[in-house]
Amino acid sequence: MKKLGLFLVMWMMFIGSASAEVIKIPVAGAFTGPLASFGEGIKNAALLKAEEINAAGGIHGKKVVIVLEDDLCDPREAATIATKLANDPDISIVIGHLCSSSSLAALPIYKGARIPAISPASTNVNLGKMSPYYFRDVYRDDFQGLFLAKYAKEARGLKKVAIFYEMNDYSMGLMLAFEEKAKKLGIRIIGKEAYTADTTDFKPQLTKFKMMKPDAIFIPGYAPQGTLIVSQAKDLGIKNTIFFGADGLDDDLMVKNPDAEGLFVTTPFLPDKAGPRAAGFIKAYREKYGKDPNWFAANTYDALGMAVAAIEAVGQDRDKIRNYLASINSKETAYKGVTGSTYFDENGDCLKDAFVKEIREGKWVSSEKQLQ
Amino acid sequence: MENLLEQSSLFLQQLVNGITLGGVYALIAVGYTMVYGVIQLINFAHGEIYMLGAFLAYSMVTFLGLPFFLAFALTIPVCAIIGIILDFIAYRPLRNAPRLAALITAIGMSIFLQNLALMIWGSQIKSYPRNILPKVFSEPALIFGEVSISWLQVFILSVTIFCMIFLHLVIHKTRIGAAMRAVSQDKTTAALMGISVNRVISFTFAIGSAMGGLAGVLVGLYYNAIFPTMGYVAGVKAFAAAVLGGIGSVPGAILGGGVLGIAEVMGAGYISSEYRDGISYAVMIGVILFKPSGLIGRKIGEKV
Repeated sequence: MKKLGLFLVMWMMFIGSASAEVIKIPVAGAFTGPLASFGEGIKNAALLKAEEINAAGGIHGKKVVIVLEDDLCDPREAATIATKLANDPDISIVIGHLCSSSSLAALPIYKGARIPAISPASTNVNLGKMSPYYFRDVYRDDFQGLFLAKYAKEARGLKKVAIFYEMNDYSMGLMLAFEEKAKKLGIRIIGKEAYTADTTDFKPQLTKFKMMKPDAIFIPGYAPQGTLIVSQAKDLGIKNTIFFGADGLDDDLMVKNPDAEGLFVTTPFLPDKAGPRAAGFIKAYREKYGKDPNWFAANTYDALGMAVAAIEAVGQDRDKIRNYLASINSKETAYKGVTGSTYFDENGDCLKDAFVKEIREGKWVSSEKQLQ
Repeated sequence: MENLLEQSSLFLQQLVNGITLGGVYALIAVGYTMVYGVIQLINFAHGEIYMLGAFLAYSMVTFLGLPFFLAFALTIPVCAIIGIILDFIAYRPLRNAPRLAALITAIGMSIFLQNLALMIWGSQIKSYPRNILPKVFSEPALIFGEVSISWLQVFILSVTIFCMIFLHLVIHKTRIGAAMRAVSQDKTTAALMGISVNRVISFTFAIGSAMGGLAGVLVGLYYNAIFPTMGYVAGVKAFAAAVLGGIGSVPGAILGGGVLGIAEVMGAGYISSEYRDGISYAVMIGVILFKPSGLIGRKIGEKV
């Protein structure tokens, strides 16, 4: 029976879309498979936002229908989905994709079909430059480096920082961005050491750091190595040193490690530090899903909000929507959503604030000191 | 003056790190070198035995709730048995086949065991529970200025040294050791002298695998991370150590492990951590270039 009901709903949606009484907005991300947990917040927030828009009368009377497209964060799936969407005349904008690798695969197809897309979560540095039809309301990897340098100096007063980076594009990009900004701000980078992903022995590098006595060690890498680094630092007797990183360390692995106490990371959204505009969203999300929205959810909520605002303003023409989004390019014209003010630069990348959370007694909590 | 003191304590600390790492490499390298010495096979699945050792002890502690030292003691014979089974399934049927065939099955077994571990334990990094070792192990045994050596490092080093002495005695003072040496010189003649060659080979696999499994547990404890692909990198490094020391020679494996471990740590500590692995392999290549048979390896004349 349940299946029949579901079928009927889908059939009705199909009929609905065919009669053009609704506006279909596809949301592409991983909703099943190993990265489904990332996609969950995206799905929840998109459905919640659409519900709210429809309750308020839709877009000029037309209902918004969210079409979930599951790309599993697999570039091949993403390309297939992108081709399908690009050839559907009813589609005028896409929310997605989630993973940078999916976005990289889908982006040329959207560009060819002149269909604008807003990604709530892809942080790869190069994405924005590749297509004038690609926008995102999430910061770039290198932005986190700049932000962390500013935060380290202004909020934490760190003076001597050592950097322990992994030999890959993500980590080195972060490291370079951090280093450049830190030097400008007067933070002394007293040591820089590298590691490869397949190593488990970090003691030689940490021994060097130990002698330098840094205020903090910046780890612009991933959690599997990060958790080993903080533990081995403790084994070596490194004390009174703060560890911090970017979104790569934002993982349960870190929280489970008692040696990671006090470690802080950047995050695009924190429920308890978000501005007053977010209060309604957080409340509605909690009521509907029984938990706090994470940053994926918050960014998706705003991305969909921008898409709807664009359609409301200029209709369903793909190029007009693209131009509308591109005109959101200053603080004055910014879209004001639950994640603060969002506006794009000439590449479609957005410039917005990050937040900081830290590990206290085995839990992520919002840091007291923020840079807002 | 203070600077000199600081520099020397940094050097000492790195030396301790290097010796510990080298000891672990040596334990794994012994397994490679013994098998090579007896049947001239590079057992590429040896790194996987090391990984299985780490995981078996982990499962015994977390799922069966055994005390750590009992789990540690049980892991060693279990790994020895796995080694014997490995030889029985993958290498014995190919004993008289070209050496390349056995090398290929070795790589096959390595892939198989790695994926088996992935299926059983998953790809996430696991670590031993913190409270399995008596608290004293995480405390420093020796503090010299800024240098600290933990009891865990002392434990790892003493287990390594004990194993090496034990191995030396087995090879040189027992009947089975004499049989191993005989088989390594000439299989056919050894068989003619009444030695059961297959039993000797099984024994070699058992000892080598026991050491590998033991090394896995020690590394799991020391670095606090075990994962299904850990055997690959450690295996390659230990193989390099065995070649560096002279493959087929047990003291060579020990020396090779030590040299490689210290070279790696000193390279990372004093030259560049970006080229850490590059430096250790460069040392190995340098030695092989000037001394092709390794540091202690015998020079084997071409058989005509």
